[in-house]
Amino acid sequence: MSRSRTTVGVVLLAAAAAAWSIGTFAQGRTGTSPDISGYWELPIDGRHIPPARLASRITPAMLRAEAEKSAKAIRWCNWVGMPTTMDTGRPLDVRQETREIVILAESPLTPVRHVYLNRTTHISSEIFDANTSGDSIARWEGDTLIVDTTGFEPTHGVTTIPGGGFRTATSHLVERYRLLKNGAMLSVTFTWTDPAVFAMPHSYEFRYQRVERGYEPRPYGRCDPFDAERAAFFEAAR
Amino acid sequence: MSPIDRRRAYSARVARSLAQAALLFAVCLAGCSAPAPAQRETPAATSTVPDLSGGWLRLDSEGSGSFDGTAQKYPPAALTPAGQAMVVRGDGRNVTPNGGNTAPHQAGEPYIVNNGACTPEGTGGSAIDPNSTAIFLLQSKDEVLMVREGPGGRHIHMDGRSHPDLTKLTPTLYGHSIGHYEGGALVVDTIGLPEGNVQGGGRRRPETRLTERFELAPDGKRLTITYTWDDPMLYVRPHTYQYFFERLPRESYAFETWCDSSDPTQRQSVVPPKQ
Repeated sequence: MSRSRTTVGVVLLAAAAAAWSIGTFAQGRTGTSPDISGYWELPIDGRHIPPARLASRITPAMLRAEAEKSAKAIRWCNWVGMPTTMDTGRPLDVRQETREIVILAESPLTPVRHVYLNRTTHISSEIFDANTSGDSIARWEGDTLIVDTTGFEPTHGVTTIPGGGFRTATSHLVERYRLLKNGAMLSVTFTWTDPAVFAMPHSYEFRYQRVERGYEPRPYGRCDPFDAERAAFFEAAR
Repeated sequence: MSPIDRRRAYSARVARSLAQAALLFAVCLAGCSAPAPAQRETPAATSTVPDLSGGWLRLDSEGSGSFDGTAQKYPPAALTPAGQAMVVRGDGRNVTPNGGNTAPHQAGEPYIVNNGACTPEGTGGSAIDPNSTAIFLLQSKDEVLMVREGPGGRHIHMDGRSHPDLTKLTPTLYGHSIGHYEGGALVVDTIGLPEGNVQGGGRRRPETRLTERFELAPDGKRLTITYTWDDPMLYVRPHTYQYFFERLPRESYAFETWCDSSDPTQRQSVVPPKQ
């Protein structure tokens, strides 16, 4: 009787283990991946930005031209794009699904970032129109989300990169997203590679804090490029 | 987490519950006397959550893509005298350089499609009034995010919160939206929109309540949004019309166009060639 009970117990334990495995499998890949959805704010001490080592061909005049281009984009309320989207001074709304992750900055000047989880290659440059956000694809490696972006437009928006340098048509950005402090913090390490601009890959890290539940996104400040006071303000700053 | 994920997670939870029950049963057979009841999972009402995730393109079945033909078929709004008397500057969205006053355009004259500003106010359409640019919906547990191909986005709160007091709410293009699932539809309630026009000759103001029902066709490939505007001060009865959308292929991607407010030709849809 005792032996029979033990046998039944062993069989049921095996069944339990099998059911557990099936359950884990049913959760799928994203079921086991972290969910970075939520509102994230970059605090004043959340930036770790070492100076970039620029390629020898980069001159002060080239840097000035990029800075002026970026200033013009801001003056005219043009879309700023990457990398400024990730640091607008207001929280990011990040929403994760199986197909894609969308990153929306609380700003009227930042195009929405679409980060695709459902493909492993970039859209062919023959059909992809380069833009300020680029083409982003992503995959999970353990608890880290790796986002790979190419296809940047070199003349539109704010092109300057924190730490020095600027984005070009040959820029390649790899971001690594990882939750820290039991999900209360999101670390994003940005690594820009571009032989036309950098002597070596340029990396910096932003650490975002999760915004409390019930947060109300604030209305976008209106940016009117035709406002006379705005024009005077920027003219005086030149 | 998408509905598919939720369904997967639910399947996983059920499988784990079975495993736990089997484990307890096995342990019991091995000698326990009074097993604790297996912990019961509360099944989420996932079966009633429509899978709206992905890209949607508004259909124009009555015109060339300008939606003018479609707009003419909307039932006219039944306005109160106050609603009829309400004066709206433009559509409440544009920030035109001349203060919203535009003279009729002559034949051959280039005309303004948008106001030249690259902000959500300037580029035409809106998150509550989609035009020919695609919309993308992302469903998560506490929010449905609705974005278009451009800057800005609309947060539809799904966490059970209420609208803030209107006196503390700055009217915006997106208003303040709260939502819930009801009978397989996403129902969104919005207030706090600025004064403006509404399809079918309607009007809106911050106090006006907009209810949207997002409903999927049985095959999941078509989406209907039914708009209902209600405001006793403006409407004799609620004003209703529908938009229809087609689901974009799963492998499609969002476009990002470019806009330069400093470029005067940005405001022209047609630049006449020199004669």
